[in-house]
Amino acid sequence: MATTEADQRKKKTTSYQHGPYSSKLTPDDYKELLLQLQLARYFDVRLIKEKKRGRLTGTLYSSHNQEAIIVGSLYGLRPYDWISPIHRDMPAFFMKDMKAGWRNPDRVGMSVQQVCCQVWGRVDSPGRARDNWSHIGSREKHIIHSTSMLAGTIPAAAGVVYADRMEGGDAVVLTYNGEGSTAQGVFHEAVNFAAVHKLPVVTIVENNQWAYGTPTYLEYSQEDFARRADGFGIPGLVADGQNVLDVYDKVMEAVAWARAGKGPSIVECKTFRAYGHGDHDDDRAAKYRPTQEVEAGRARDPIAVMKRMMVEQGIISKAEAEKYASEGKGAAEVTNDDFPPEVVQYLNEGIEFAMKSPLPEPEEGGMWVFREGN
Amino acid sequence: MAAAPEVSTKKNYLTALKEAIFEEFEAHDDIIAIGEDIGFLGGAFGVTEGLKEKFGSERVIDAPISEAAIVGVACGMCLHGKRALVEMQFIDFISTGFDQIVNMTATYHYRTAGEVSMPMVIRGPAGGYGGGALYHSQMNEAWFANSPGLKIVCPSTPKDAKGLLKAALRDPNPVLVYEMKELYRLRKIEEELETGDAALVPLGKASVRREGEDVTIVSYGNNVYHCLQAAENLEQEGYRAEVIDIRSLVPLDEETIIHSLKKTNRLVVVNEAPRTCGFAGEILARLTEEAFEYLDAPPMRVTRLDTPVPWVKPLELFVLPSADKITEAALRVCKF
Repeated sequence: MATTEADQRKKKTTSYQHGPYSSKLTPDDYKELLLQLQLARYFDVRLIKEKKRGRLTGTLYSSHNQEAIIVGSLYGLRPYDWISPIHRDMPAFFMKDMKAGWRNPDRVGMSVQQVCCQVWGRVDSPGRARDNWSHIGSREKHIIHSTSMLAGTIPAAAGVVYADRMEGGDAVVLTYNGEGSTAQGVFHEAVNFAAVHKLPVVTIVENNQWAYGTPTYLEYSQEDFARRADGFGIPGLVADGQNVLDVYDKVMEAVAWARAGKGPSIVECKTFRAYGHGDHDDDRAAKYRPTQEVEAGRARDPIAVMKRMMVEQGIISKAEAEKYASEGKGAAEVTNDDFPPEVVQYLNEGIEFAMKSPLPEPEEGGMWVFREGN
Repeated sequence: MAAAPEVSTKKNYLTALKEAIFEEFEAHDDIIAIGEDIGFLGGAFGVTEGLKEKFGSERVIDAPISEAAIVGVACGMCLHGKRALVEMQFIDFISTGFDQIVNMTATYHYRTAGEVSMPMVIRGPAGGYGGGALYHSQMNEAWFANSPGLKIVCPSTPKDAKGLLKAALRDPNPVLVYEMKELYRLRKIEEELETGDAALVPLGKASVRREGEDVTIVSYGNNVYHCLQAAENLEQEGYRAEVIDIRSLVPLDEETIIHSLKKTNRLVVVNEAPRTCGFAGEILARLTEEAFEYLDAPPMRVTRLDTPVPWVKPLELFVLPSADKITEAALRVCKF
């Protein structure tokens, strides 16, 4: 249970400043961003439903309530930029370079079919279902393969852009990390290396207040995890992780800084983990986290926040905003009717493909330990 | 004819390593080097002396004291398509980069179903007998032999040092090179070296260092010389020992050992790592499985005691294998 100390910390004002937002984004961008938020949410709740129906095995690491971080951070990237997502960023694998067209086979991101094959453990997964859940990647699509070792891919991210820079490239890499992983030694080693070499590494810290069962005040002695940056002499930005526009702006500021050769930075996105660490933990998470805290954390649903801003700016009408209303609802409460049909259709295509993809042949378990020949 | 002072063209183990690195850097501009003090200083032992001057600070990186980042950055370089040469200042320090080696690098090819390979060499001075104490004397190769996806070599001669390192740098898999720092400048093992492709020594091939019919003694690294000394001792007792230097632990050339056992029917395995779960035990287990029918006596191991490596000479020699300990074990096997 959270202590008085934790409650006191929660009362502190957060240090991020709101808007004015992205003068560069057009009304069409706003609509696309809203649709992508809904797609990320649908992916999450649909998989939970699939599992409840017994059509899916394995642990699900929900990104519910944290979608603005994935969508906002990816939206301004160039196709050739690299990303390094972790378990809670599953939609990032198929949302990278989505501006090139959701179904464009040439976009530098995975298809939803590939990601669904990974979720269902099928042979058409990019990793042929050899490691679980988010542990996929693609050199071709510039996605660094994730592992279970938190912060463990930041050094590789630094190495990738170091090599890219040697060849005259200006690719930036975004690494995604929970706030808990910033306590790992390798986090510090890697960010330090990137700072020394002014590498274009943008480290996103998804501060969802809980590292599995441990609250932030037992992880770090300061309020803002962005302050980790101070020791490296690099910028540390704080974004409102519920507001896709604020995430976009802060990440783009860091990306522009990186691409200009000024080096790495840390962007902390403050959010709240709506459910358990994984779905296996949902019941316990409801006990180790105070109800009041959970309710407050879920209150600012990123879809609702975006809709409100769009209505205020006259981009959509109130009626349009209310047409598909998945915001504020858990997986058990929403239905397909709460999502735009194009979102449902897109994921259906992925799932249908996955269901037809076979399991890998057993002997593949013994293959690819070493590369033969040259 | 007046005897002119002879200028030796023989080279030591350290020079051999250096030549391997310079030749491969010259031939392949996609190799980068990263490690602590490898640039300005040229490495704590001087293995990379002059490398930064010749190939520039972009390719030869003086890294912060961060073994995890060093290996991980190299991993990222390989992911992007480069090849990486990583120096561990002492192989003992590899423990702080352990996760990046065994979970990140070693598994990369496997978990991507072959999409990505990791042409990375991790090399460093290893082994005891120099009074280096607990943290400058280790042979921790068993940790990595137990992590699928890593090749491991341990040269004992200048020719093998050069040839194996060159081959490792051309291999598409991560290779760990355990260099014997007590052999780096040992005069008596200096030898002529080939250059270019002629210098290559393939990974996974053992070398028969002395032929004999009575007992096969298998080893690698520093201990090869103790085994050769033991073979001399055994000769005095009337036994002719065959000494095999495996050179590569992973992959292991079982064939050469089995071929020898068919002749000698007796086996002793020697290494300076601790006994429990050490690589000597692995060799012994495999040969027992594969070649039991050829064995006329229970095979034996001579290893370090299950202790850390202590500092002062009497303590260190007490725990490490020696020619006498090997001789004694071989005699027991021969007289069984």
